[in-house]
Amino acid sequence: MVNFVFLILPLVAGLLFGYLLREKKKVNLSRVTLGIILVLIFSLGFSMGSNNELLNSLPKVGLSAVVIAVLTIAFSVAFVKLVRRSVGLQ
Amino acid sequence: MIKYVVTALVAGGVAGYLNSNWGYVAGDVWVSDYAFNALLMLLLFVMGLAFAMDKESIAKIRRIGLKILVIPLVVALGSILAGIVSGLILGVNVVATAAVSAGYGWYTLAGPLAGQIFGAEWGALGFAANFIRELLTIVTISLMVKVDKYAPIASGGATTMDTTLPVIVRYCGSEALITAFSSGFVLSLIAPFTIVAIASLA
Repeated sequence: MVNFVFLILPLVAGLLFGYLLREKKKVNLSRVTLGIILVLIFSLGFSMGSNNELLNSLPKVGLSAVVIAVLTIAFSVAFVKLVRRSVGLQ
Repeated sequence: MIKYVVTALVAGGVAGYLNSNWGYVAGDVWVSDYAFNALLMLLLFVMGLAFAMDKESIAKIRRIGLKILVIPLVVALGSILAGIVSGLILGVNVVATAAVSAGYGWYTLAGPLAGQIFGAEWGALGFAANFIRELLTIVTISLMVKVDKYAPIASGGATTMDTTLPVIVRYCGSEALITAFSSGFVLSLIAPFTIVAIASLA
């Protein structure tokens, strides 16, 4: 639960500041965010790569895991694609 | 951009592996936990800022309203059903595969939880299946957006509130921020409950 708070607080703070600054000149933040994203992705890879328990489990359960991962993605995408228009989500 | 993302992911993976298996240059907790969380908080702040400064995106969210909750609920249904189907295909315990799929990509939750309920082998599977879901979401995102505007959000499941959020916003635009975050948030909230609820059917 602490995790959620840590994510929601900065998001809400950003939204509030952005709302207050909305009349100001637009700044292009895409370069900043791309930089942060790449460091984040690196760090995500780092935590996967240093997780020996995870890496050791892959050869044993790999095939079943791929089947489950691919099917959960396919079903989730298909369901959302089917349902979202009927409830008017553009 | 996907080139950079995959390069960063692989470089991080190799660095993490070397670091934890050939001497700790940097404490892995420091890199993967503290640095990651601090940067993620900074990024959420910046993305919130960019979102709120854009009047159109606020208007869009006003129009969507509570319908936004449809996405995580449909993703939950789709994932659990996919779990049942994969259990049938693989010829294994259907309840266990459904429970594993109800991790919605949150592998650090689904792994230990499935391990506790169904035993170590299922823990490994819960870990790997959800980990591959997150990995595939990042790697295939450029194809995903061609299928549907919301496809990356559906694919990312519970991870769209943190790890896959930046990549999704990058590809689907600033307006996807709230949809992706709220979907990931709802799925993260219900993941532990759905896993345990499904497991109790066994």
